[in-house]
Amino acid sequence: MSQRWHQPVGWLFLLPLILLGPTWLATGRAEEQPIDQQAQRLLAARCSVCHSTDLVLQQRLPRDRWEATVDKMVHWGAHLDKEEATLLTSYLATYFHQDAGPVVALPAAPSVQAGRESGATPAPGGVAARGAALYKQNCLPCHGEAGSGGVGPKLARNPILAQADRFRMTVSQGRGAMPPWGSVLRPQEIADIHAWLNALRD
Amino acid sequence: MRNHEGPDITRRRLLAGAAGSLAFALMGGRLRSSAEAAEPEPGAPATDQPLITHVARPLDAETPPQVFTQYLTPNDQFFIRSHFGPPAPESVAPAVWRLHVAGLVERPLSLSLNDLSQFDEVSVTAVVQCSGNGRAFHRPKAPGVQWEKGAVGNARWTGVRLRDVLQRAGLKDQARHLQLQGADRPVVASVPLFTRSIPLEKALHPDTILATRMNGAPLPLLHGSPLRLITPGWMADSCVKWLTDLTVQEEEAGGYYMQTAYRYPSRPVKPGEVIAPQDLKPVEVMVVKSVIASPQQGAILAGGAAMVRGVAWSGEGRIVKVEVSTDEGKTWEQASLVGEDVPYAWRQWQFLWRTRGSGRRTIWSRATDDRGQVQPMTSAWNPGGFLWNGVDRVQVQVREA
Repeated sequence: MSQRWHQPVGWLFLLPLILLGPTWLATGRAEEQPIDQQAQRLLAARCSVCHSTDLVLQQRLPRDRWEATVDKMVHWGAHLDKEEATLLTSYLATYFHQDAGPVVALPAAPSVQAGRESGATPAPGGVAARGAALYKQNCLPCHGEAGSGGVGPKLARNPILAQADRFRMTVSQGRGAMPPWGSVLRPQEIADIHAWLNALRD
Repeated sequence: MRNHEGPDITRRRLLAGAAGSLAFALMGGRLRSSAEAAEPEPGAPATDQPLITHVARPLDAETPPQVFTQYLTPNDQFFIRSHFGPPAPESVAPAVWRLHVAGLVERPLSLSLNDLSQFDEVSVTAVVQCSGNGRAFHRPKAPGVQWEKGAVGNARWTGVRLRDVLQRAGLKDQARHLQLQGADRPVVASVPLFTRSIPLEKALHPDTILATRMNGAPLPLLHGSPLRLITPGWMADSCVKWLTDLTVQEEEAGGYYMQTAYRYPSRPVKPGEVIAPQDLKPVEVMVVKSVIASPQQGAILAGGAAMVRGVAWSGEGRIVKVEVSTDEGKTWEQASLVGEDVPYAWRQWQFLWRTRGSGRRTIWSRATDDRGQVQPMTSAWNPGGFLWNGVDRVQVQVREA
């Protein structure tokens, strides 16, 4: 019972996600992609708005539970139309069914000082070096590798970068299809992402 | 009651150290494994054990079991779980944060941290455990974060009695439940809030506290700063963090996280079976459980003898026995209960294992409490994957002596 997540076969499932991730965000037109890639794209763009996809990939559920789960998420505000929800459910029921092995390698712990901070700190200037990882974790699924754009607008050299306050407000309060990130990202973290995006050349 | 954390810890560490030394002297040998040699001495902080992350955002991470060789789980190694992540720190800063007490009360209150500090200060050492701890061991798999052994910890919580605050507000006759709401918010507003409630009897129990400190330090943000509820003996779905609103009412809280999630069938059920809502009750009291802290899974032990150590706890009962089997359950031997015996806290135990021969060996542990609850081989399957307390098992490799 104390099996851990070591089987090398586990990585095989993640490979398409890792290798193709940037491609499907950059190349647009969903209907031209194989269905697995479309489903993975939905996972990254729609589910990870609220939670990282590791939560999804560690589940092993029968089809009816996947259907109920996707339904619940749509009910709670996940941006999936009927066809997308069906596509995603089918993908999850195919690869993450109850007899699927322990295929997911758990991600490394994020470099937070877990439990050490105890109160508010003001947000001074951003640190680009810290922004890279934050961007990858929170923004990349929609805004693409190096801010190149995807479901969300291209951010590299985006005029909004010149207005730090507006950037911060947009991230923390959301705009249009983009949900508010204020309860996820601290002002300092938003500043760090801003600094990193500002340092991008293209 | 003032906080005497420092001296307590020192005394306990000395006691634990003395017990360990005595045991090693009695067994007459230096018989520690290479894996064990790298471990901290009993009571010493295990500072280099990172949490095991299951969900990166919002952060859900569990404590590696070897940290449980310590009586108190350090704040920065305590498991982290919430549905939405912590609120923005500025939204719960002392200058703006208030605890509102409303509903079926004579006098609604709005209390600052300073107001709260005017109540009697109390401390309780208690296990806090996620209801889904061990979910990964249920078969078939239940949906949710796939926690293994470490969504649990034992800490000293300091604050004020919830009862005192409620009595200041004055309860009306119809009052039956206390609704709890924290400052954490979902990314998307259409997701239901994490709203919970506890029956008034638990709210008025003198050991139920509103905690501002954890192991002597201010409550860290990830653990509910500035204020969280501690319901000793109950699963942590009641221990609401970042508390801002207490509402006294006649009914249980409505909403997803009270009426749908965190419910457990009151009769045995089969996977896939439809369960009537009246057969589902809120998850409340913890069940009897033990965990092996050392040696850790996969350890390579030098032959001869090894010290097996762990912890055991039971919600509202007291641990009276922990047994260890090294032959996959054919025979069981009694471990020694050591350290402090305090209600709601866990009990440390140790077992001197004389390894015979070499090769792969399993170590199992099972606890019994004073109410006759015994840790089962496996726990009853339930749709939420809650309350896992199956016999704990690790596999190790013993080298030739």
